[in-house]
Amino acid sequence: MKRETGTYHSYILVFLLLGNLFSGCTEPFSPDLLPQTESVLVVDATLSNESKNHEIFLSKSSQEAGELLVERNAAVRILDDNQQAFTFTETEPGKYISDIPFGAEPGRTYRLLITTEDNRSYISSAESLPQTTLIENVAAQKTTTESGNEGIAITVDSFDPTGNSTYYKYEYEETYKIIAPKWGPLELVAGPEEFQTVGVVNRDPDKEERTCYATDKSNSIILTKNSVAGEDRVSDFEVRFLNKDNYIISHRYSILVKQFVLSQQAYTFYEKLKDFSGSESLFSQSQPGFINGNIFPDDNSNERVVGIFEVSSVSEKRTFFNYVDFFPDEDLPPFIDECKRTTIANGDPSLYEPVKSNRVSYVGEVTNPTTGGIEAYIVVPRLCGDCTVLGSATIPDFWEE
Amino acid sequence: MKFLLIIAALLLSIPVVSAQTETPQISISYENSSRQEVISQLEQTSKISFYYNEEWLGDDLVSGVYENASLSEILGDLFEQTTVNFFFLDYRIIVLTQNVVIKDTLHESFYRDSLGSSNQETTEALPFYLAEKESGTSAIETVRIGKQQQAGTQEKLTLSGIVRNSRTGEPIQNLAIIEKKNGKGVSTDIDGRYQIALSAGPNLLQTKALGIESMEKRVIMYNDGQLDFNLEESIEQLDEVIVESNSLKNVETVVTGVVELNVAEIKTIPLVLGERDILKTAITLPGITNAGEGAAGYNVRGGGTDQNLILLDDAVIYNPSHFFGIFSALNPFTTGGVTIYKGSIPAEYGGRLSSVFDINTKDPNTDKFSGEASLGPVTSNLTLEIPIVKEKSGILLGGRSTYSNWILNSLDEESLKNSKASFFDIVAKYSNRLNENNTISATGYYSRDAFSITSDSVYSYSNRLFSLKWNRKLNDKNSMNTMLANSQYGFNIDFEGNSDKNFNLGYRINETELKLKFLKLFRNNHRINYGLSSKLYIVNPGEVEPRGSASIVAPLEIQQEKGWESALFISDNIKLNDKLSVDLGLRYSFYTALGKSSQKIYEEGVPKNEGTLTEIKEFDNNEIIKTYDGLEVRASTRYFLSPSLSVKAGYNNTFQYIHTISSNTTVSPTDTWKLSDINIAPQRANQVSLGFFKNFGDNAYELSLESYYKKSNNILDYKVGAQLLLNESIETEVLQGEGKAYGVELLLKKTEGRLNGWLGYTYSRTFTKLDSDFIEEQINNGDYFPSNFDKPHDISLVTNYKFTKRFSFSANFVYQTGRPVTFPVGSYFLDGAEYALYSDRNKFRIPDFYRLDFSFNIEGNHKIKKFAHSFWNISVYNVLGRNNPYSVFFITEDGSLKALQSSIFAIPVPTITYNFKF
Repeated sequence: MKRETGTYHSYILVFLLLGNLFSGCTEPFSPDLLPQTESVLVVDATLSNESKNHEIFLSKSSQEAGELLVERNAAVRILDDNQQAFTFTETEPGKYISDIPFGAEPGRTYRLLITTEDNRSYISSAESLPQTTLIENVAAQKTTTESGNEGIAITVDSFDPTGNSTYYKYEYEETYKIIAPKWGPLELVAGPEEFQTVGVVNRDPDKEERTCYATDKSNSIILTKNSVAGEDRVSDFEVRFLNKDNYIISHRYSILVKQFVLSQQAYTFYEKLKDFSGSESLFSQSQPGFINGNIFPDDNSNERVVGIFEVSSVSEKRTFFNYVDFFPDEDLPPFIDECKRTTIANGDPSLYEPVKSNRVSYVGEVTNPTTGGIEAYIVVPRLCGDCTVLGSATIPDFWEE
Repeated sequence: MKFLLIIAALLLSIPVVSAQTETPQISISYENSSRQEVISQLEQTSKISFYYNEEWLGDDLVSGVYENASLSEILGDLFEQTTVNFFFLDYRIIVLTQNVVIKDTLHESFYRDSLGSSNQETTEALPFYLAEKESGTSAIETVRIGKQQQAGTQEKLTLSGIVRNSRTGEPIQNLAIIEKKNGKGVSTDIDGRYQIALSAGPNLLQTKALGIESMEKRVIMYNDGQLDFNLEESIEQLDEVIVESNSLKNVETVVTGVVELNVAEIKTIPLVLGERDILKTAITLPGITNAGEGAAGYNVRGGGTDQNLILLDDAVIYNPSHFFGIFSALNPFTTGGVTIYKGSIPAEYGGRLSSVFDINTKDPNTDKFSGEASLGPVTSNLTLEIPIVKEKSGILLGGRSTYSNWILNSLDEESLKNSKASFFDIVAKYSNRLNENNTISATGYYSRDAFSITSDSVYSYSNRLFSLKWNRKLNDKNSMNTMLANSQYGFNIDFEGNSDKNFNLGYRINETELKLKFLKLFRNNHRINYGLSSKLYIVNPGEVEPRGSASIVAPLEIQQEKGWESALFISDNIKLNDKLSVDLGLRYSFYTALGKSSQKIYEEGVPKNEGTLTEIKEFDNNEIIKTYDGLEVRASTRYFLSPSLSVKAGYNNTFQYIHTISSNTTVSPTDTWKLSDINIAPQRANQVSLGFFKNFGDNAYELSLESYYKKSNNILDYKVGAQLLLNESIETEVLQGEGKAYGVELLLKKTEGRLNGWLGYTYSRTFTKLDSDFIEEQINNGDYFPSNFDKPHDISLVTNYKFTKRFSFSANFVYQTGRPVTFPVGSYFLDGAEYALYSDRNKFRIPDFYRLDFSFNIEGNHKIKKFAHSFWNISVYNVLGRNNPYSVFFITEDGSLKALQSSIFAIPVPTITYNFKF
C-alpha cells in the first residue's frame, strides 16, 4: 500500500492515542497515605490431626514492604472443649511451639487464645477437625502449559467416599540434588595477609562440596474444591509446574505434597488472600478489602486481626523423578549461574580478597610455557564449584536414589 | 428601527420629564453644528448608538462645551429646543422619540395585575399612542383584540387560542408565548392551546419553541379574545433557537431535578478525539458524574451506575458507551436531546432507583432530502434524512464507524498489528403522520464494540433495540400513546490461544415492553396521565462453549432467568392557582420471577454459603418463583415567590428489580445484569428534594440551587474478593445494604449573549452501610462508609464566546474530588508470602481530578442557498496535560508490593473535526 508521508504523520498521532488507550498508561504511583500507626496482629496457626509439636507464628503488619516484625513474648495456648489446655512456648522470635505433642481429634473443638506482651487478649472461634482424606497419588507428568512452556507438572489425586472433604489446600516441600558443574579436586587458599598471595591445594576429602541437596517450601496458596453436587474427587490437580529449563530438576528431584482438608471458612479466607495477590488490568478492578479471619479481640472491640486459626486434617505423599526420565536425549537445564571464567594475574591483589572470603572456585591456571611458573589463575563464582552455596551436603533421610 | 417599534408599542403616553440611567462621563465640544453632527460625534467618541429619525432633529445649529458631563446632561441641552425625547435602552443604545416618553417601568396598574389580585379593576380607558409602521421593514404584525368598551377597560384581559404548524397544520405543543416586556409567559398544551393574561392596551407577544421560528406579534387588547397562530418551522433547526427555547422553563417546571440538554447546545463544547457527546456533556451538570475520565456509566445523585434507566426513543439501552466508555454510543447527528430526571421521576417511568435518561432521536425531515457528515480522527459519521411522502412521512438514517482497525492493521508495528478495537452504531427512525389524529414512528438501533487486549482473546458487546410508537388523538381532551419496545444487550469473550483451552463465553439480556399511556385534560387545571406498562425480561447469564474440536474446556451454562415487571401509573399536574402547581404521581409496580429455574434455598438468618444450603427447589417453565411489589409515590410542587423566582419541593420513591453484578467501580464490558429472585431482593430508594430557581437579566441568566436527601435499601454490594462471572451461586457473594446520599447543587447558566455557558458546583456525599450479625457479611464493622463514587466537590465550567457569527472559542474546566479507594496500609507475611494489609473499605481517595479543554469553532457561511453548510472544530483536550489517575491498584510482584496508577489521557490531545450539512 502506497502511503504519502503527509498523511502518515496523522496515522502516527492516532496510533499514539490508541496505543495510549491500550497500554492504559500504567505507571508506578506513591500513595499519599496518612501516617498509619495501626499495626495489626498476624496469626499463622494450623492445628492438624498429626500428633506432633505444633507451631504457631505470630507477627505484626508493617508499613515497610518486605519487613517482618515478629510478635514476641506472647502467651499462646489452644483450649479444647474439654477445657484441656495445650500451652505453647516461644522458641525463636515469633515462633511458638507446643510444649507437648498432640493432634486434633475428630469430634473435638478447639480455640486459640493469645495474650500479647502489651496485655491484649485475642480468642478464635471454636473450630473442629474436618474429614480426613488420604492422598491417593502424587505424580510427575510431562506437560505443556497454555503459554506453550514445556515442563513437568506435579499432580495430585484424592478421593473422599464420604463426600465431606470438599475444600482442599496444598503445600509442598521440594528437595533437589545439585551437582556443582565446575567442581574440581583443587581449591585456592589465601596466604598470609601481609603477602596477599594465594595458593592451590587439594580439597578436603571429608568435605562434600560437589553434590548437595536443597529444600524449598511452597510460598503460594494452592487451593481446589469440589462442587457440592459431584463426586468428592481430586484428579490430576496440578500443585506445581516446573519449567523444563529450571535448574532444580537437572538431576534428581523429590516433592512432598501435603493435602489439608479445610473448613469452608478457612477455604474462603485463603481464596480471597490468593485473589488479592494477583495482578489487575485496567478493565478488571476488583474490590479489595480486609479479609476477616476467625480471631477477634477478647474485649469485642473493632481491632482487626489478620489470619485464621486453621484446624485441618493432613495427608502427605512423596514422589521422585530424574530429568532424564522425561527428557532422555536432551541437554540438562542451564545451571543457575552462567559460571563465567575470570583470569586474574598471579599476585594481583584483586584476587586475594575473593579467595580469602571464599567467593570464588578454582578451575585452572595459566602457566608460563618457558618458566612453568603460574602467571594467572582462572576462577568462577564459588557456587559453580561448591554446591554448599545452594544446598546442604547432607543426604536427607527420605532420599532414595 | 425594530427597537423603536418594540418600545413604542409598550409605552403609555403620560408626559413626564425624562427617564434616566447611569451614564458614562463625557467631554465634548461643538460649535454651530447640526444635531445630527453632534450625535455622530457622540457615537464616535463614546461608542454609543442612537436610533432616531433625522426629520425630528430640526435644521438649527447648536453649540456647547462639556467637561466630564453626563450624557443625559448633554442630550438634555441638545434637545431642549425640540420635541425630541431620549431613552437609554442600555448605556450603549439610546433611542430618540418624538413627543412621547419611554418609561422603563410599566404603568402601575400592570403591577397590580401581575400580583394576582382577584378583583377585576376597571379604570379610565387609556388612550393608546402607537408608532407608525416604518416603511415595510418591520416583521411585527399588529392585531387588535376585542372591542373597546365605552365605560372603561378591564385591566386583566385573557387571550386564548391555538398554535399550529403552518406547514403541517399540526398543533404545536410546549410552545412558549411570552409577553416580552415583563417576561411572563405560558406554554401551549398538547393540543397547541394556550391562554394568557394580558394587560389592556398594546402587548408584544413572542413565541418560542424548539424547531419553530420565533415570531413576535403586537396585540392590542381591548377585551378578552381569541388569537390563533400559524407558525413556520425554523430553517436552522440545529442552531441557536433551541438554546433560547423555554426561557422560563427553569422557573416554571413543576417537577424538581430535571436537566435538559440539546445537541445544539453542545455543538461548540471541546471534543475528545472528535466526538460530540451529549451524555459526556451531561456530566458537567450538577448531580451527574461518572467514576472518572473514560469511565462508562453514570452516577446520579449518589446512585450506582445500574440505577439509571437510559431510554432511546423509549427503548432501554443497556450500555450506551463505546470504547469502554470513552465515547457514548449515541450518534450526535441523529440525537435530538436528552431529558434527565434526577429528582422526581415521572410516574410513567420506573424500574431504576436514581434517574431516567430520556433520549430522543430527531424526527426525519419530511420536506426535503438532507444530510450531515463528519470526519474525525477516530470515526466518521453520516446522517441522511429522506422524505418518503412529502410532508407526511420520512426516514432518518445515521451511521457511525471507527477506522481504527484499518489504522492498526496498516501499521508496521508488530505488537499493534494484531490489536483490534472497533465500534459502530447505526440508527434509523421512521415517522409517518397518517392523518390529523394519528402518528406512528419506529426506531431501530444497533451498536457493537469489539476489542482485543491480548492477542488471544476478543471481547465484544452489542446493544440492539427497536421501538414502535403510535400516538392517537381520541378527541380534544383525550389522547392515547401506545408503545412497543424490545432491547437486547450482550457481550462475548472469544478466547483463541494456541492450546486446547479455547472457549467462547456469552451473556445476553433481552427485554420486551408494551406500554399504554393516556392523557386526559380535565377542566383547565388538570392534566392527567395514566396507563400501564408490562415488561418481560429474559437473561442468559452466561455460557461457555469449547472452541474447536481440540478444546478440552467443559461446556457450562448458567441457567436462564426470566422476570415479568408490570406497572400501573397515574399522574396529575394540578394548577391550584397562578402561583402554586402540584404534580402528583402514583405508580404501582409488580415483579415476578418466573421459571424454569432451580433456586437455592439457604437457612434463614445465617450467611448464605455452601454450608447453609438446605435445598434446591425446581420451578417449571413460567411457574411463579417469587413476587415483589411496591407503591411508588412521585410528588412535586412549585410555588412562585415572584414571577422569576420559584421554590420547588419533591418526594420520590422507587423500586428496582434488576441489578448489575460488577466487581468494578466503573461499568465494564463484562458486567452482567441479574434479576431479583428468591435470594436477591429488589433495591428501594426514597428521595426528598428542595430547590430554588431564579431567572434574571431578561431570562439571560438562570440560577438554581437544589438540595436532596436520599435513602436506599437493599443496595447491592459484594463481599471482599467476590467471584462474579459465571458463578452459579452469586447470592453467596452478594451483600445487600443501605445507602445514604445528600447534596447541594448550584447551577448558573447564561443562555444568551456572546458569552454563554454554565457554571455548576455540587457538594454531595454518598455512603453505604453493610451490616450483619455475622462478621463475614460486615464491611467496615457495619458502619456507613463512603461509596465508590462519593466525590464531595464537583465544579464544572462550560463556556463559549462568540467572536462573530462564524468564529467562537470554548473552554471547559472540570474539577472533582478524587473518588474513594481502598489502599493497602501495610503488609504482612503469612505462610512465607507477603500480602497487602488493606485499609477499611474506601478509607482513602485517589488524587483529585481536574482538566481544562479548549476548542475553536469555525462555522461555514450561513447562506441558505449554499449546497453544504460546514463546521470546523479544533479541540485540545486536557490542555494542562494533567495525569489524572483513572485507577490505582496494587500487585504483589517478586514477593513485594507495588502501587500502580493508570490514566487514560495523560497528555493534551488535539483533534480536528470537519462536519458538513446539506
